[in-house]
Amino acid sequence: MKRILLIITTALIYLTAQAQSPKEIWTEANNSYTQARYQEALDGFLKIEKSGYVSSALLYNIGNSYFKMKEIGKSILYYERALKLDPSDKDVINNLQLAREFSLDKIEEIPDFILKTWVKDINYSLSSDAWAYLSIISMALLALLLLMFRYGPTPKARKGSFFGAMASILLILFSVYFSWSQKHGYYKKDTAIVMKPVSTVKSSPDNSGNTLFILHEGTKVSLIEEIGQWKRVELTDGRQGWIYSLDIEII
Amino acid sequence: MTINCIKKFLLLSGALLVSIALSAQASFTVDVPRVVGLDENFRLVFTAGGEPSSFNPPQLKDFDVLAGPTTSTMTSTQIINGKRTDSYQVSYTYILQPRNIGTFSISSASAVIGGKTYHTNPVSVEVVKGEANNSGNSSGTSSQKSNGTISSDDIFMKMSVSKGRVVKGESLLATLKLYTKVPIGGFENVKFPTFNGFWSQEIDTPSNIEFTRETVNGKIYNAAVLRRYMLIPQQTGNLVIDPSEMTCLVQVRASSGGSRSMFDDFFDSYQTIKKRVTASSINVNVSPLPSGAPPTFSGGVGDFQLSAQLTKDTINANEAVSLKVSISGSGNLNLVETPKITFPSDFEVYDTKISDNTSKSGKGTSGTKEFEYPLIPRGAGVFELGPVVFSYYDIGAKKYKTLTSEKLTLRVGQAAEGSANSSASLPMGVNKQSVKSIGNDVRYIRSGISGLVRGNHFFFGSVTFFALIVLIIASFFLMDKFFSKRIERNMDIAGVKNRRANKVARAKLRNAESLMKQNLYSAFFEELHRAILGYCSDKLNLSLADLSREKIASSLEEKSVSKEHTEELLALIEVCEYARYAPDQDKPEMGQNYQRAIKLISDLEV
Repeated sequence: MKRILLIITTALIYLTAQAQSPKEIWTEANNSYTQARYQEALDGFLKIEKSGYVSSALLYNIGNSYFKMKEIGKSILYYERALKLDPSDKDVINNLQLAREFSLDKIEEIPDFILKTWVKDINYSLSSDAWAYLSIISMALLALLLLMFRYGPTPKARKGSFFGAMASILLILFSVYFSWSQKHGYYKKDTAIVMKPVSTVKSSPDNSGNTLFILHEGTKVSLIEEIGQWKRVELTDGRQGWIYSLDIEII
Repeated sequence: MTINCIKKFLLLSGALLVSIALSAQASFTVDVPRVVGLDENFRLVFTAGGEPSSFNPPQLKDFDVLAGPTTSTMTSTQIINGKRTDSYQVSYTYILQPRNIGTFSISSASAVIGGKTYHTNPVSVEVVKGEANNSGNSSGTSSQKSNGTISSDDIFMKMSVSKGRVVKGESLLATLKLYTKVPIGGFENVKFPTFNGFWSQEIDTPSNIEFTRETVNGKIYNAAVLRRYMLIPQQTGNLVIDPSEMTCLVQVRASSGGSRSMFDDFFDSYQTIKKRVTASSINVNVSPLPSGAPPTFSGGVGDFQLSAQLTKDTINANEAVSLKVSISGSGNLNLVETPKITFPSDFEVYDTKISDNTSKSGKGTSGTKEFEYPLIPRGAGVFELGPVVFSYYDIGAKKYKTLTSEKLTLRVGQAAEGSANSSASLPMGVNKQSVKSIGNDVRYIRSGISGLVRGNHFFFGSVTFFALIVLIIASFFLMDKFFSKRIERNMDIAGVKNRRANKVARAKLRNAESLMKQNLYSAFFEELHRAILGYCSDKLNLSLADLSREKIASSLEEKSVSKEHTEELLALIEVCEYARYAPDQDKPEMGQNYQRAIKLISDLEV
């Protein structure tokens, strides 16, 4: 009897020691980061990521750890991933900007139509979840206002609630669209970061193609199509070419 | 013979120089050729600047004294700009001949000059077995090439370095020497070497060339240092010092055939022959400094000490103070870079002043190099400066060494009143400064809640999201249904009740109505009174016998009938009672009271 108990307890201890909860790893890795042991911190964060957990904060911390290890390409990749998950995060935006200053390529961006940038700015001012919650709240509001419209005690209240209902319909449409577009953008794997310090972009998807231009670590490209081991990419300034798949990592 | 002339001249001028320099000071020196041939006579001269009262000669056991000591005195008087200088010199000359081959030392001699005893340094003389073609002392009947050809054995140039293997930055000495057996009239087309890959500096450029005797391969030459360079290699690998060359004008006596008259000696005709001499190139192997240099290493190689100090420990803000860092020692001191010091950002730092106090020697530059950092602190406080860190490669120990000065503390007081910065008219206020960004770093990580989620982490499109929407729509329809039902019912109940109440009231008052139509006055009011009381007894569950006005009022109150209605009811009863017994003239109106009763009952029924 005693022996069995002993076995069970040792097994339990072993199990708990083995299966550290992600929360524990998180705290440990944070401590390592605080004490400037960035490699250990990074290992911890990556372990959490590997176990299938994800959050904007986790991706942000991984990006920070890579930045401290002077791996600019990786840090940009993880900041971009964090931004995809939550485009409203000011810290991520700030750090991404800083990391980009360390990447070599300077590409002129084609400016968007002003209305588009406005919509984008509004869209990225809240996260997908926040927009989703907002849409739920405005739906509830719409329901209340409709009831009010139908059964309001005075004509004035009925009139007011009508306009309120119209406004909340607009709010629902926008928030649902924004929430959807952010989520859709996250699952759409159409952008990538160059991971190789120097990577050539060819005119055709094989090594014999002419070299069109050279990209350096940390540059963001959008993916258009894929043939075998090669991917057709487009820069923000509109130039296109074929790059070897292993040179880039999809955000 | 010409050499002799030169020698004599040099000796004389040297003696003159000495006498000028040391006219006030007595001296006692020895002069002897360093190398002599075995069969050669040579001169040993002790020179006393001043009149010696006694002379104690050295022991000359290794040499045969052929003559001497012969004493000669020399006086010279000089008047420069009306200033008169006298010098008096006594020299004791021995003429010696060596007995054996080898190196022999001549012990020191002493003399008492002006009551003080002076000693000469012991000197050594190397005796070689060589032909004494240029004997120092005499007659010039030596074998001299007179046919106009001079072999490269007679005159050559040689470049030598003090070290053939050095590390990068280690200083070495290169000496260019001319060796000759023949008299030289002058030089032409002198091409000194360029030292590619080296930092070079001439440390010794004699204005007049002094020949000393040296042996090379057992032969005696007159050798002279032409140039001496200090070299510091700046590259690694096998560095080549280029050959240097020049043309010497060698004077040879023109042979005037076999006949030599006695006047020939007086009217020597000399012929000048140009002879090109070159010093072959020489290799210096420079090995790189070992790896593992500390980050503060800036190229210093040698042996150094470091010290740092502030000119003042305590000052007021806006006053100047200097941090002086001095590096002393020997090595490539002139190539030592300014040590980098980070000062508090509130300090204004000006250009570093560098002052050298160094001398060059065979070991490289030695001395002190001082760096002065002028500072002006702009704010008050106690500041820690330094430590100043300086790293160098120690050649002796063959490793890097890092010197660290002590931390310096600077106390900065408040800016003095009326200092240059504050204007007299506006004593108040401070200079506003914008917050400067000094460094750049990523923002700190998230340390709080991790928000870790597994799988689909978007709220949009999740089951909860749709469930909430369905819930909202469902509750909307439910609420809608509820409201519409209630309103419907409310409207219905009111109508029905009104109608029913009206009906009850009319039924109750049906008799009264017929009596009113028949215009039976008192009967009408009697009937009305009865009907109201009957209604009350029905409504309040009271027997007719119990009905008193107080009872009705209290019961109605219990049933929470409004006060107006109660009062109206009581007033109506009173009107009825009054009408039954009232005189004919002021009878209450029948129709009006009938309507009042109907309304009252209807209201009470609702």
